[in-house]
Amino acid sequence: MEVERMKSQKNHTREVVVVGGGVAGMQAAIRLAEQGVRVTLIEKKHELGGHIRSWYHLFPSFTPAQEVYDALHERFASHDIELITSAEATEINPTSVTLADGRVLHTKAVIIATGFEIFDARRKEEYGYGLYDHVYTSADLELLLHEGEAGEGLAGALGFTPRRIALLHCVGSRDEKVCQPHCSKVCCITGVKQAIELKKRFPDAEIFNFYMDIRMFGPGYEEMYREAQQKYNIHFIRGRISEASPTFDGRLQIKAEDTLTGRPLRMSVDMFVLLIGMQAGPNFGLPHADSGFLEPQDLFLGNVVAPAQAGTLGGLFYAGTVSAPKAIGESLNEGIAAADAAAAYIKQK
Amino acid sequence: MRFFAPFCIPFIIGTAFLFAALAVKWGSWLYHLPRADKKLIGRNFFTLATPKAIWEVIRESLLHARIWRVNSLLGYMHTSLAFGWFLLILVGWIETTAYVGLRWVPLQGHVFFKYFAASAHLGHKPVFDFLMDLLLLFVLSGVAWAVAKRIVHRFMGMRRTTRHIVWDKLALSVLWFIFPIRLIAESITCAVHGGGGFLTGSIGTWLAGWVPRSTLYALYEPAWWVYSICLGLFFIAMPFSRYMHIFTEIPLIFLRQYKLRSGKKITSYDNFQVEACSRCGICIDPCQIQTDLGVNDIQSTYFLRDRRYHRLELSVLNNCFMCGRCEQVCPVGINLNTLRQNSRDKMRNVPNEKRYEYFTSVPVEKNSAQSKIGYFTGCMTHLTPGMKQAMERIFTATGESVWWADREGGVCCGRPLLLSGETDSARKMIDFNTRLIRESGITTLVTSCAICLKVFRDEYHLTGVELLHHSEYIERLLVKGSLKPARANDESFTYHDPCELGRGCGIYDAPRAVIASVGVLVEPEQTREMSLCCGSSLANTVIDDGQQLRVSRSAVDTLTATGAKTIVTACPLCKKALARGTSHNIRVKDLAEIVAERL
Ligand SMILES: Cc1cc2nc3c(=O)[nH]c(=O)nc-3n(C[C@H](O)[C@H](O)[C@H](O)COP(=O)(O)OP(=O)(O)OC[C@H]3O[C@@H](n4cnc5c(N)ncnc54)[C@H](O)[C@@H]3O)c2cc1C
Ligand code: SF4
Ligand code: SF4
Ligand code: SF4
Repeated sequence: MEVERMKSQKNHTREVVVVGGGVAGMQAAIRLAEQGVRVTLIEKKHELGGHIRSWYHLFPSFTPAQEVYDALHERFASHDIELITSAEATEINPTSVTLADGRVLHTKAVIIATGFEIFDARRKEEYGYGLYDHVYTSADLELLLHEGEAGEGLAGALGFTPRRIALLHCVGSRDEKVCQPHCSKVCCITGVKQAIELKKRFPDAEIFNFYMDIRMFGPGYEEMYREAQQKYNIHFIRGRISEASPTFDGRLQIKAEDTLTGRPLRMSVDMFVLLIGMQAGPNFGLPHADSGFLEPQDLFLGNVVAPAQAGTLGGLFYAGTVSAPKAIGESLNEGIAAADAAAAYIKQK
Repeated sequence: MRFFAPFCIPFIIGTAFLFAALAVKWGSWLYHLPRADKKLIGRNFFTLATPKAIWEVIRESLLHARIWRVNSLLGYMHTSLAFGWFLLILVGWIETTAYVGLRWVPLQGHVFFKYFAASAHLGHKPVFDFLMDLLLLFVLSGVAWAVAKRIVHRFMGMRRTTRHIVWDKLALSVLWFIFPIRLIAESITCAVHGGGGFLTGSIGTWLAGWVPRSTLYALYEPAWWVYSICLGLFFIAMPFSRYMHIFTEIPLIFLRQYKLRSGKKITSYDNFQVEACSRCGICIDPCQIQTDLGVNDIQSTYFLRDRRYHRLELSVLNNCFMCGRCEQVCPVGINLNTLRQNSRDKMRNVPNEKRYEYFTSVPVEKNSAQSKIGYFTGCMTHLTPGMKQAMERIFTATGESVWWADREGGVCCGRPLLLSGETDSARKMIDFNTRLIRESGITTLVTSCAICLKVFRDEYHLTGVELLHHSEYIERLLVKGSLKPARANDESFTYHDPCELGRGCGIYDAPRAVIASVGVLVEPEQTREMSLCCGSSLANTVIDDGQQLRVSRSAVDTLTATGAKTIVTACPLCKKALARGTSHNIRVKDLAEIVAERL
């Protein structure tokens, strides 16, 4: 667990406050400290790292998430960064950040790196998450994979050995019915990764991925997708599952339409994984897209800069998934970009 | 005494035209009525229905009792114009009789009696002068309101009034002039010949004192000409304008009393309903498509107008929830939903045989346990398995053996297709399910879907099978004591009436009784007959998802304004729709779920 560190900076004015201690926020803080900027990082939870703390092995290289975190944290700890944990920012202005407990931090610039939230799968009631046994989200599966490292393996963590598994893409993404119009970008590749992880543990199981489109946008992703089909014999079916219902023998029946062959399809499975999407968190009253993610000034040279608003000119920067779904690598890069932009901004002021 | 002057000609032409047009319209509508409707008229003519209809005509066409109930200012306006004008005619007739005795007097003789009486120096009867002036004042006050309503409609408690077509505008402008001009013509007559009551008489005396006599003489005839022209123009415009409603509402009331109804296919009877719309605009304000989405050319008044003038577009026709909120307030009692439905049938009923191919692959469940109770899940409840599970738990708790008509999926109840006008396709589904239910041998069919219930009750012929909504079924179980949910005295629930259940099937009390048995019910501001639509109605095929969401959010806002943390509803579609518009800390639950939670 992190210890709240209030270092020597107490008496100085803060120069930059970074809100959110996920990978993007940590990276931004490190970069600023490297440049000698007095920086404060605020994290809502009691420890740093954000979502990657809950992931098991990362796509596309199967690197343990813990390794990435540890390396990042080591660099973080070696710098003089004021860290305030268990502190939630409720109001953000370019020159001040208000915390839930009423404290107000004055600063010269703010980097917002509050990340994303995972979609609550219960909102797609037709898939029975929280109602039926054996329905999991991809986030649950990451935790189960963790648990499965010890003892009886994944079968032990699950309490059974699945024979047929369905993974469903785009749950809570690309779905206007739940107000999530955007593509969450990382769930397709997460689905491929998790299918492979499952196949490695249950070689006899049949595994089906149901998708609308397969989006393999990053380096090595397409290769991994091909490997999943060729080496691991994972079946990819184009079609959205319409509903799931329990069968009398304790399995789940899913209904879908195979849109490539145009035929309705029913299948009994004993494990159903919902590849949940990324959902926007609070927007702090800043301009945002329909999906809820914050909108930067533009998508090219100003992609980590908040749009200039009436009255205030500049001073707000975005890093990581707060502005759109992204993978870890991209979020880290944005941490650097936002830190550089913020440093340049306070210098010119 | 001759009752004719040249200025009467426009009036005579107008009246003749009006009567001819009415004869043609009524005649052809009645002639084209379906045989069954004609039989109904024949059968009910010599029954109590006729005096009832006469009474209703007095109440509605003259006194406008229903408008009074919606909006008293508007009620006064309609009553003063309709009833006032009627009394002017009636008292005018008595006046004529008082002067010339009981003899035939041509129509213009009655209408322009003041002119003829004055020209013939008939002397004065102050009582009639007074009465006629009083009535004229009554009507004039109505005209003043009508003008005010056009100018400042908010003033009348209406946010919006109808935008009119050319014929309406013509008729409306002339109508505004008719009575002020009558006042002027009569006053000038009084100025020249003396007499008149407190209104025309006083103005006449005043005119006589201030205006040179030669000028008064010069204006005398022209004033009566203008009055006659206004009347003539109004009567000519009338059959083509909204004022046709005055004469259409009367036969409509009779036919309705004789039990004629509009149905899923357009019939001649619909003409009476369509043209009985006065375009009063009362239906605009309750429409959420107007209040939440700012679309204001689709409401019932516009739909009926477009249908009447044969310029109905699908974009208007289909942009409607068929929530029935407008029908609820329409003072003429027009069956707005039914008319929309049969317009849809006409405009897009294109049966697609491929659609029924899946019937053959539907797993048909046999009622092998010979259960007396059946449960129809319906497509929407299949998509809200929480409800299905709750029903299952309730059935288990009662120990009753239940036949699930469509546990593994079945054929749709047909209501969505009916709503979109695919009447003939829907019929195939209705027939399939009817056979399924009949063959099962059940005596009670329960459904947790308000949409299914509506079509079961309206369209399925299932004599011998009682059709219950789950709210009614659960209420019975509670009364019988076979369900005993734990009641939380400190938990409050608010209730959203599904359109199809409340206004659709008239079920308001059963769900409330069920909620009251598990917690405290707090009513939102708009409730029961005027409850809001959730925004996801299957009937609207025009608005997009974002618009649905806006409607849902505003419905949720009125519900959460009660302070309740749980919104309860009794329809799977409403449940899904409201859940979309809700923030994290508010639960949206079906009635069955809050009961099952407490078993
Ligand atoms: C199921 C799943 C699996 C994934 N697997 C991979 C993978 O294998 N490889 C990969 O590259 N990417 C993966 N991703 C994507 C990866 O999780 C994100 O790219 C990464 O977590 C983004 O980091 P971030 O810092 O932008 O946001 P986050 O990780 O969300 O961090 C945001 C931080 O801000 C804090 N915060 C939020 N609001 C406030 C506030 N008001 N005040 C203070 N603090 C606040 C939060 O507590 C959190 O610590 C996966 C995503 C999902 C959904
Ligand atoms: S990445 Fe794939 S699964 Fe995720 S939202 Fe986009 S298309 Fe759907
Ligand atoms: S439909 Fe009814 S409420 Fe609407 S304008 Fe016509 S008469 Fe008035
Ligand atoms: S039925 Fe509802 S949506 Fe349709 S016009 Fe009437 S009030 Fe508007």
